[in-house]
Amino acid sequence: MKMSSIILINFLFLWNVSLSQQMSREGYLKAYADRAAYVTAAFDTASNASFNTIATRYAHNSDIGLADSMLLEVLKDPKGDMFWMFPCMNAYLQGKEKMSPAAKSAVRTAWKTYAPYRGDTENHWAMYYASLFIAAEQWPGLPGSEWYNGRSSDENRMEAKEYIIHWIKVTTTIGQGEFDSPDYFPEYMNAMLLLAEFAQDPQMKQRGLMMLDYILVDFAAEHLEGQYLGGFSRIYEPAVYKPLNSVASAFAYLYFGTGQPSQTGWLTYAALSSYRLPQIIYNIATDRSRPYVERERKRVRNVIRFGEEKNPPVYKYTYITKDYGIGSLQGGILQPIQQHTWGVRYTYGYPYTTIFGLHPYYSSLELGMFFPEELKPLIADVVASKGTYNNPDKWTGSSPYERTFQYLNTLVVLYDIAPGTSTGHIDGFFPANLEQRLVDSSGWIICKAGDTYVGWYPLQDYEWIAGKSPDQKEENDFWRLRSHKLQNGYVIEVRSKSEIGSFETFAGRLRSHVPKGVLSPGAVSVRYTTLDNEKMFFAFPDIRKLNGKTIDLSKTKLFDSPFLHAEVGSEMLSLTYKNLRRVLDFKNLRIVE
Amino acid sequence: MMYSFRFAVFAIPFIFLFQTELFAQSTVYASVVSTKLFVVGAANANTGLYYQRPGVDTAWTHSGASRIRAFGVATKMSAKGEIMYISSGNGLHKTTDGGTTWRITTGWEITEVLGVTPDQRNGDIVYIATAYGIYKTTDGCFTWKEMNSGLPTLPFTSCVIIDHSDPNKLFCATEDGIYISDDAARTWKRTGLHVANARVIVQHPTDPSTLFAGMENDGIYVTHNGGAWWKKCEAGIDHTTFYAIAFDPTHPDTMYAGGYVSGVYRSIDGGSSWNRQGTGIEYQNIHSIAVDPTDGNRVFVGTIFSGIFRSDDAGEHWASAGLPGAQVYRVIIQPY
Repeated sequence: MKMSSIILINFLFLWNVSLSQQMSREGYLKAYADRAAYVTAAFDTASNASFNTIATRYAHNSDIGLADSMLLEVLKDPKGDMFWMFPCMNAYLQGKEKMSPAAKSAVRTAWKTYAPYRGDTENHWAMYYASLFIAAEQWPGLPGSEWYNGRSSDENRMEAKEYIIHWIKVTTTIGQGEFDSPDYFPEYMNAMLLLAEFAQDPQMKQRGLMMLDYILVDFAAEHLEGQYLGGFSRIYEPAVYKPLNSVASAFAYLYFGTGQPSQTGWLTYAALSSYRLPQIIYNIATDRSRPYVERERKRVRNVIRFGEEKNPPVYKYTYITKDYGIGSLQGGILQPIQQHTWGVRYTYGYPYTTIFGLHPYYSSLELGMFFPEELKPLIADVVASKGTYNNPDKWTGSSPYERTFQYLNTLVVLYDIAPGTSTGHIDGFFPANLEQRLVDSSGWIICKAGDTYVGWYPLQDYEWIAGKSPDQKEENDFWRLRSHKLQNGYVIEVRSKSEIGSFETFAGRLRSHVPKGVLSPGAVSVRYTTLDNEKMFFAFPDIRKLNGKTIDLSKTKLFDSPFLHAEVGSEMLSLTYKNLRRVLDFKNLRIVE
Repeated sequence: MMYSFRFAVFAIPFIFLFQTELFAQSTVYASVVSTKLFVVGAANANTGLYYQRPGVDTAWTHSGASRIRAFGVATKMSAKGEIMYISSGNGLHKTTDGGTTWRITTGWEITEVLGVTPDQRNGDIVYIATAYGIYKTTDGCFTWKEMNSGLPTLPFTSCVIIDHSDPNKLFCATEDGIYISDDAARTWKRTGLHVANARVIVQHPTDPSTLFAGMENDGIYVTHNGGAWWKKCEAGIDHTTFYAIAFDPTHPDTMYAGGYVSGVYRSIDGGSSWNRQGTGIEYQNIHSIAVDPTDGNRVFVGTIFSGIFRSDDAGEHWASAGLPGAQVYRVIIQPY
């Protein structure tokens, strides 16, 4: 990297930090324009033939002839399925009025001859159908023989429209399936950006615009300095332990002005789009002046077998401050392969700004719940593309033997693992760059990460294993807490300096708050009084009591926080920030301010 | 239980299609889910439908879309290869011109179509087995209706078949065992087989009351009374998971079966006893088996990640027959 680039990135980073203090609308729009220009600068002079480059060149009138020839080149051998469809359509529409007849014809031919795979999950279908809808609008009245799937323009447009309406309705009534995914966030953004920017049908355009607001504010309310907070449906390594590595963080940079500057291609179409983040969402994303709890209800991705219902609910609880966020899902198998059930993320110690734990479980039964292929060969099939799936040292994944109970900034996690399960241990991730990682005689592991303090009380014996992430050449960059007991658990307490004072005060308070666990097969429970003297009782799998009162997770709303409110089944999301209010009313397809 | 072939010709009209003297040639069709690694969005190897004519073609020809993850294939037998169906991740594809053009017939609601079964007596009726249950068309695949009444809450179905003797009677393989419908899929009820995770069901070519079911983890079961009572096939079987069972249509006492790392089993006594059969295929994952109606010694096997295998001596010896690395979920052989 050239020195000038490094200086530019550092300048932008520092500038973003200062911008993360809230600013006027005018200031925001100016700063946004600068960030968008920074994103597209990577592409409008690039010489490699990619849709990102082509779209940017068309949009910026930067050597249209070259853009045409690049387009002809990339259309020679289409590949990428729905990951081809949305950039192809975006590049086409950026240049439609400027490109040569040959280039225009090549795009049409590609949509006649290249049959993409529709995919098997929500993000695939969002990209596929948003792209197909736009394409069908662009070429109306064509018979099936002019389309890759043998269906006419009208049939394709109607099918795509029906799916998108269905998806929005499901999302706004019982929650998103691939919810809060730091790594699959851009797929939904790009699908909706396509609709918002290019749909001719005004209702579909409106749907695209409203879903952009919806997706972005869902992130904004659980966002801290570029990081997505809480439990996630899907995340990859290394983003799970290097949070700013996720692609959602790049969108935080573009829209919220937080995190690190990014020129990832995933941002191209956002940066070229006329969509602008509403002020209220920016405010929600960046105002951390007061701690708050964000409760959300999502749904499990389509369960096709080995379950009781197709889309069981997911309950999400996240506590957010200016220094840290701690969040959790209720546990169990809510998503295959890449689930992140709970985590603490904070603003100290980039890039390792997190502490979390898991039971690194894998099984063909879990995969078979969501994938239709035969069970026994399924693990090998999945490992071929997601290599860590059956690795007992992995850092992502769900487990049927894991459950959580969170109240404010205290979290209890319990495990009752059946003998013979694929993995017979639980792991905790502790960055090596923590300022303190003390093992106290009280049993607490007490950590200091800048102004954030984390206490971890293991309920069973454990060992420390020095660890090195794959891109780490020499020094170990994390400590792995590993416990081999099948009946297991831990209590997590998180406080910041502004909440509790000094680290020593935090440590002293922990010493007088020791959990009492019962850890027998089929009878795993813990009683614990939090640092704020709240009495928690948690019995695996799903008995949760706070101060003697049973917690009923089934009453969880779609969104419930100082900023967001949505009832189950409502098709409506209300955003509130001080005297600002914005209601996304999907039933009537209108935004009320 | 023996039935004469002549009897079958008159008793069950469509079976006459297997009568060898009418056909000089057959075509093998194979549906490929993937070849080695398949990652959505990556530059994967082709999936979809392949075909070849044994003894004529030296290579496999691809037909239709190449990115659809094809789980199943079927033909309208009287149409001599003009009407074909591919069941796939993308939905149900149909051609009416021998594969020159294809059309996806299902919409967004129908996905992960694992099997397709056309009613050979009525070209407008087709059933599909999907990860979300059974769907049926009665208008030649223009519209589809969900037919899950009576099936489990999660009606994952890997296979559906139509009774040879009664087009209103169907059987399907679900995660809750084998189900039967007596009213053309309007309602379903569980048969006497309560074993979980059924993978495949096949019907005897000439005795409709005899059916065999392959299970995940629990071997092969047989019924001789149309599903009321089932018996586990034990003799000679030492594997547990079976994805494929096939009859030699001209000599139905000869049967083949295969599944997870099982290689191929053969029975020559109508399924009473089995032998793990043949060299060259011992440890393969077998997902589909088809016996050539024009030559009962010619048997094709579709494997998981090892392509197609072929035997020309009724399963004594096997050799790779192409599509290396492919996950071949279904093989059928159509005589012309």
